[in-house]
Amino acid sequence: MEISINGARILAVFENVPLLGTVRLTQTVAMSWVVMIIISALCIWLGSNLKVTGISRKQAVAEMAVTSLVKFVHNNMGTGFDHYIPLVGTIFITSVISNTISVLGFWSPTADLMTELGWALVVFVIITYHKIKAAGFGAYLKGFLDPLFVLAPINVMAECFTPISMACRHFGNILSGTVISALIYGALTAATHGLLGLLGSSLIAAVIVSAAGVVLAVVMKKMGKTVYFVLGIILTLLGVFALLHNAGGFLGEIPFLAIGIPAVTGAYFDWFGGCIQAFIFCTLTTLFIKQAAG
Amino acid sequence: MELYQSLVAVEPATLIVTICNLFLQMYIVKKFFLNKVLAVLDKRREAADQEIVQAQAAKEEAMSIKATYEENMKQAKAEANEILNHAQKTAAARSEEIIGQAQAQAAQIKEKASADIAQEKKNALNEAKDEISGIAMAIAEKVVERQLNEADQEKLINQFIDNLGGAL
Repeated sequence: MEISINGARILAVFENVPLLGTVRLTQTVAMSWVVMIIISALCIWLGSNLKVTGISRKQAVAEMAVTSLVKFVHNNMGTGFDHYIPLVGTIFITSVISNTISVLGFWSPTADLMTELGWALVVFVIITYHKIKAAGFGAYLKGFLDPLFVLAPINVMAECFTPISMACRHFGNILSGTVISALIYGALTAATHGLLGLLGSSLIAAVIVSAAGVVLAVVMKKMGKTVYFVLGIILTLLGVFALLHNAGGFLGEIPFLAIGIPAVTGAYFDWFGGCIQAFIFCTLTTLFIKQAAG
Repeated sequence: MELYQSLVAVEPATLIVTICNLFLQMYIVKKFFLNKVLAVLDKRREAADQEIVQAQAAKEEAMSIKATYEENMKQAKAEANEILNHAQKTAAARSEEIIGQAQAQAAQIKEKASADIAQEKKNALNEAKDEISGIAMAIAEKVVERQLNEADQEKLINQFIDNLGGAL
């Protein structure tokens, strides 16, 4: 069996667009609009019907989100950068929603390097603006010649690597989750076909296994031994799945073993990894801007 | 036929769309969520500040009222003391006056009584004197009467003594 891991699916191709040439409308763009609609709806819902006293549970959540965002920016940048609060919050929520939308089986916009690179370029422009503002344009350019003028190419590269490293860090973590999920899914599908195909090749064997499982489960339930009871249930399911597998047709294609287990790995890669990468990207954004402003 | 990008693909259109999306999203988040919530938070903070200021003002007012009250109480106490002192003084003076009057009256009464007694005594003495002189006159008359009659002398003396005894 073959596992292929691809980038975003191309939904439409537009040839000869002025300035850009061939434009491919990908899943990334489509899903980023879906994410935008989700976030905008969430914002409008949370931001509506706000009261000063006697607040609802919804408003308490909204206020907690805003205060923790403001606190995060203040902790990392101090109080002089309040106009970057919307940027940091937007990148964070977009990243979190984009990363976790894959749980629902959709394509993550963040699984495309271009998404993170877009954010990183915006941050890079802000960083450069603050560097120039802090030192002056001449001093900023002169800084590339430090400590020796021959190091200028390396300094320029180092400057350019800031957004690239930011983007690649985020993209790589999401991509690794996607790759591992695909590998586990493929492996479990292969295991399903192997195990159930072997067991189901003989109808009698499958029936005996499931019958033995039922007897074991019933007896052990009465005796109160949980471990053997669970074992009996598993044997029963295995027998039933083997029978279904060999019944052929549509049922034979279902990878029964892949049910449930990918959810556990997905919990780590999609939820934990997704949130932590969003947090790291925002932390780096705030710290880099703060550092550039001096 | 489904077309896929390679795993890491550079697509300028996607990049531009992403950046535009970020700014649009930022505007929406800011306008519909952040600004509204921050406005509510600011309003609440202002209300809390105002309440604290009001509470302080009320406290100050209460303190000033308390000070006035205490001042009034002090004054009232002083006045009460003054009135009490005055009353005591008046009462003392009055009682002394009354006692003085009583003493004076008593002295007067005593004086009058002793004067009366002296008058009575005098009167009694005068009466006694008159009686004695009367008796002496009577005796003298009797003596003169009986000189002529020696024999009746003893009888006369006895009579006199009898009369005396009746008088005494």
